[in-house]
Amino acid sequence: MRARPLIAAAAVLATAALGLAGCSGETDDRTALSFFSWDNEETMAPIIAAFEEENPDVRIEFSNAPPVAEYISTLQTRILSGTAADVFVIAAENKTNLIEGQYVLDLTDEPFMENAAEFNTRTYSADGRAYGLSLASWGSGILYNEDLLAEVGADSPPQTWDEFLALCADLQAAGIAPYLQSVTQMTTTISAFIGAQDAAMDNTLDAGIFDGTSSFAETWTEPLTEYNRLWTEGLVTTDVVGLTGEQVRDEFINGRVAMIDAGPWDLNPIREAAPDLQMSMVPVPALPGSEPFLSGAASPGYAINSASENLDEAKAFLAFLGRADIVEMYNTATAAITTTSDFEPVIDPALAPIVEAVRAGQVYLPQIAWTRNEDILNTEAVAQLQLMVQGQVTPEQVAQALDQKLADSDG
Amino acid sequence: MVSTAPPLVQGRRSSLQGRSRRGASRGRWREVTANQLFLVPIGIVFLWLFVIPLGQTFYYSFTDFTGYSTDVAWVGGSNYAKIFNDSSMLAGLAFTLLFAVGTTVIITAFAIPLAVILNRRFIGRNFVRSVFFFPAIPSIAILGLVWGYILSPLGSGVLNSVLDALFSVGPFPWLSDSTLARISVIVVAVWAGTGWHAVLYLAYLQSIPADYYEVATIDGASARQRFQYITLPLLTPAIVISQFLLMTGGLKVYDLPFTLTSGGPGYATYTLTQAIITSGVAQGRYGLASALAVLFTIAVAVLVLAQLGLSRLLERRIS
Repeated sequence: MRARPLIAAAAVLATAALGLAGCSGETDDRTALSFFSWDNEETMAPIIAAFEEENPDVRIEFSNAPPVAEYISTLQTRILSGTAADVFVIAAENKTNLIEGQYVLDLTDEPFMENAAEFNTRTYSADGRAYGLSLASWGSGILYNEDLLAEVGADSPPQTWDEFLALCADLQAAGIAPYLQSVTQMTTTISAFIGAQDAAMDNTLDAGIFDGTSSFAETWTEPLTEYNRLWTEGLVTTDVVGLTGEQVRDEFINGRVAMIDAGPWDLNPIREAAPDLQMSMVPVPALPGSEPFLSGAASPGYAINSASENLDEAKAFLAFLGRADIVEMYNTATAAITTTSDFEPVIDPALAPIVEAVRAGQVYLPQIAWTRNEDILNTEAVAQLQLMVQGQVTPEQVAQALDQKLADSDG
Repeated sequence: MVSTAPPLVQGRRSSLQGRSRRGASRGRWREVTANQLFLVPIGIVFLWLFVIPLGQTFYYSFTDFTGYSTDVAWVGGSNYAKIFNDSSMLAGLAFTLLFAVGTTVIITAFAIPLAVILNRRFIGRNFVRSVFFFPAIPSIAILGLVWGYILSPLGSGVLNSVLDALFSVGPFPWLSDSTLARISVIVVAVWAGTGWHAVLYLAYLQSIPADYYEVATIDGASARQRFQYITLPLLTPAIVISQFLLMTGGLKVYDLPFTLTSGGPGYATYTLTQAIITSGVAQGRYGLASALAVLFTIAVAVLVLAQLGLSRLLERRIS
């Protein structure tokens, strides 16, 4: 008698199991191609649907994680456990580990790489071999409120740093907060200063630091000193070390500041919150001996897992992603500045002054240009910049601290 | 002491007693075995999720493990040496200790009187209890983001706007000055934790018989004396539990400072847990992060054991 409930329960479970098996038992002979992205499903779903329609034999298994830290750690775990997707995103933050660990396929000779911009391909290359298909780039510069600048008779931020500081002083005298940025990450201004210097040196600045023929103290001290004038001359509040990018943007939206550091991702939120605000973005004004420049980088690329069992399908998917009509879909969904040679992206008019430079790869970001210990140096640089803004250390000490950190990390 | 039972009966009883003892012994053994069997799944989980990872962490702390390949090289104690030569790690240790001790002391100082007040009868008592308990409900990370806006150092920040409107003072650099940032993080943690710990004390307060207070009042004891000689000694177990939770929670704090200040300005509010996560995940230095985790575990164990010892000593003295 006691066994009856058990038998009944087992029967119920067996029936349920059979039912579930029946539900999932639909035969699907398509090849499952797994794809791990840091773009969200809303962005990628139409593109995946279009691919599956064109390739009825392939089914995309999509998963994603938000950038950057969460994506990196998830991918890292999957690679270590041997469960990484067939296609995944290679980012500046993990490219060295992925390439050195031979986890990504060499894409150099693949036909779909031909349309990719040289700068983007170089970003995800090592020893002349390419490992990622990067289809877009971003650049950040100075976004200015045209009406506020007009109040002091300026059409746009000037081309040189001295003139820019003079403009800040004029705005301040007129009772307008001139300039804000968030110093909770590598700032646009410093990136652009160093980038301009690097461009003037034929892109050898970082190579010198990392092969020991130069140093941060030698190359960074002067740009840091010029940058620090924003605070030594009392033009910008030291509160920037406690402000997030969103808080800076809110100040701009509400007309409480004339100029901010901004990237393309700031445009849509500003347009939504303040549709009538007249604005434009320009490169960071130049230090003596260099040109106005932009902070920025190639967007993450698409890489193929070298251990994938679906290499043909993975290559077909990358070829599809790089096609002009699909790049257009991506541009429509994300407003990204795409860089492929056979498609001209539609970009917000406020970004017009920077689009050409971004597409040409005239952008720079230290933590991507550095050849090793990128995140270690970046964390240290941000902390040291905050201390400098607060007046606790000098520009010389910031540069020396970076040299010391590099030496410690190598040791 | 002479037995009144016939020998046969006595013999049978003795035999029965023997059997009964053996039966009882078997019963006890079965009970013990059953209890042990219940522990087996927990033991497996503990071994799988705690002991093995702890052993792996210890092993990786002597390697150059980057998180991408288990093909690692032995680097001896160099990871440990790096930690003690790294100013950011030492800054993280300093703020973590400040946070843990600061929040433990301040929350305890606020939570006990608050619990005593909430234990009294007054109109709307349950509502007031709920209000004080509320900050413990949302995720601390969400609280950090909300407080980030409240404590914005700009004049347009919520708190600065209020202070300016009421007293025409400020703006104060709540999160952009090193000292104020440290204080702000601790104050928000105190705000979030006091109500929860007050409820813990309240539970113990309600178990103290009212007779004690009545007798003390009849004997002429003042409110201070009643608190000092009745409430406080009987709250000692609650104090031990509360401080244990506060200290362990404080030592492993991550989410609140990270969402409020990201560890800045500089390394002013950098914590050990943030250092472990940053080194391990973002910087791909799992070997170093493992060494830090090992040292952190040892430090926490030592501190908590010392705190428990101290609490027991205090408990014995008071009782």
